Amino acid sequence: MKRVIIGLLCGCLVLSLAAGANAKKLRFAFMPGVADPFYFTMEKGAKAKAEELGVELIVGEFPKAWGPEYQVPIMKALVARGDIDLLFTAPTSTEALIPVLKEIHDSGIPIITVDTYLGDGDYSKPSNYSFPLSYIGTDNFLGGQVVAGALALLLDGKGKVFLENTNPDVSSVIGRENGFRAGLKIFPDMELVGVEYCLDVQETAAAQTAAALEKDRDIVGVFGVNVFSAQGAYQAVVAAGLAGAVKIATWDATLTLIEALKKGEVDLILAQMPAEMGSLCVEWGVKHLTEGAELPKKVIPGFFVFTKDNVNDPEAQQYIYK
Amino acid sequence: MMNNKNFSKILVHIAARWTLIFLALEVIFFSVFGTNYFSLRNLQNILLASTTVALLATGETFVIITGGIDLSVGFMVGFSGVICAKVMVTLQAAGASQAVAISSGILAALLLGLVPGLVNGLLVAKLRVPPFIATFGMLGIAYGFAEIISNNVPIMGLPTSVGSIGHGYLIYWLPGKIFAFLQKPENLTRLELQNLVSIIPNVTVITAIVIGIFAFILARTKFGQHTYAIGGSMDAAERAGINVKRHLIKVYMISSFFASLAGVTYVLRFITGRAPAGSARLLDAVVAVVIGGASLYGGTGTILGTVIGVLIIGALEIGLVNLAIPTYNLYIAVGCILIFAVLVDQFFPELVRKE
Repeated sequence: MKRVIIGLLCGCLVLSLAAGANAKKLRFAFMPGVADPFYFTMEKGAKAKAEELGVELIVGEFPKAWGPEYQVPIMKALVARGDIDLLFTAPTSTEALIPVLKEIHDSGIPIITVDTYLGDGDYSKPSNYSFPLSYIGTDNFLGGQVVAGALALLLDGKGKVFLENTNPDVSSVIGRENGFRAGLKIFPDMELVGVEYCLDVQETAAAQTAAALEKDRDIVGVFGVNVFSAQGAYQAVVAAGLAGAVKIATWDATLTLIEALKKGEVDLILAQMPAEMGSLCVEWGVKHLTEGAELPKKVIPGFFVFTKDNVNDPEAQQYIYK
Repeated sequence: MMNNKNFSKILVHIAARWTLIFLALEVIFFSVFGTNYFSLRNLQNILLASTTVALLATGETFVIITGGIDLSVGFMVGFSGVICAKVMVTLQAAGASQAVAISSGILAALLLGLVPGLVNGLLVAKLRVPPFIATFGMLGIAYGFAEIISNNVPIMGLPTSVGSIGHGYLIYWLPGKIFAFLQKPENLTRLELQNLVSIIPNVTVITAIVIGIFAFILARTKFGQHTYAIGGSMDAAERAGINVKRHLIKVYMISSFFASLAGVTYVLRFITGRAPAGSARLLDAVVAVVIGGASLYGGTGTILGTVIGVLIIGALEIGLVNLAIPTYNLYIAVGCILIFAVLVDQFFPELVRKE
């Protein structure tokens, strides 16, 4: 009996040692840009893939507001744990994050930027910001063009439109703006009459759109580049008694915006694929660390355009952020 | 045998330093349960992350000791930061050298940053506007000007040396090979970069020196004594021959000087001037001062206490990230510590050390 017990104990010990040896799991860190549904969805996508591939995923605190002063301290504390094999993050400034991420990179942690990027996002040319393995995110310029085209379709290709943007130093929304401008050029009868920046504050977006609607009473379309700017724009349109007469296009298929689309508060939503982005970060990260795979410098998942007509389609549901 | 009186005396001594003990327990807790919390890198992270709050709280300590409060400091960070960045960018575009552009930017920010403090001081001292109202008004004014100066757009494209100062360290040490001051060694191999130990961020050096100077002024000079005297009783201070009005103006200027310095360090760290930069830090700063033993009724408080208060918040903030606990808990924790600090102040006034 004693022997059996000892034998069992030894067996357990060997097993646990073996398990310990195997437990050298990869540990990835994800540092999101701000607490919003887009990044929550990205986290879910990344977590699912991490579980599938046996990677431990540590998610940094979701910063309460957008900006390096909120993101950097959390990011630094996250990597100071010293046990991170790879970091993927959405830098909150194209410039302010360069030295911060460089220092992390130099300390031996490879970096992928997701959704937003450093510098101009081209890591294939040598520069002081070309050190990340890859940029996995939307081609915002292309998306802006898609929005311009889809909005033009709703408006029969003519009329004045207004753009409600968020932050002028954030690569993603500036890309959307530039793409939108470029896309509108194809339609000679459409004119962009103004661009404002609400810095992610919905009330500001409402006030700015209201002022624009007052200034140009024949505005027929507004593009709000994210949830805050679109919702603010909608409030202004309703307050001006123009609901229905002004079409609102927006970006990101959050539940809030999908509900708004169903209620007719917005008319067009361009969906990115945040879950896909998170999942790709983990997948490529593992390939890089275990097989030494060379990552493409830019990985672009596609888009999906929601309108009132397709929002209830079963195959569209997967593109809603949740 | 220890008699009861001695024992309670010792207890009082310990209790009087409860913040320091609390800070120590906090660090021990996170060191035990966190991952590499007690490492050089992480402790430096705490100091860096505390920069803005430490500077704001030091200036605020002076104001609170006089029985006032300065609510404008949060937005003053953005105000001076934007001025600093704007001057740098403009001079650089005009062809000035980096050294000239950077030093002019910093100087302009620190000098113009004194103006809101001067106005606050004049309003409070000469026109008898309650500090709460005067500085609250200034908060809006400073923010508005910051947005106008920056044209609603964060100012970027600063001289490249700004980043190397803001992200630089006092000492770089590659064990057995390199020991360099201020200058980050170049042309290191990948492995050497990984092993490079960076000690004490430049920004922390600047912060510590300035706070040290003002701690000395408050604790050891006549100016400091007068500050406490005014907080104790303005009438008595007046009767004792202190020029109270003038002194108050200086105190509000000290506060806005610290806020401006916080703005400059923001620009150095983030290579950007942003109008809303320090707004979220105002509350933390006031909380740190109160935790540090200053009474909102005036007359008590020390810079050392304030710094401990700042570190309690900073260590907690970084600790929660380290443990991957949602930071919303930080608000609860900081709120509890604040209320506890005020209760200690109220029920055990003998524990709050004066001066």
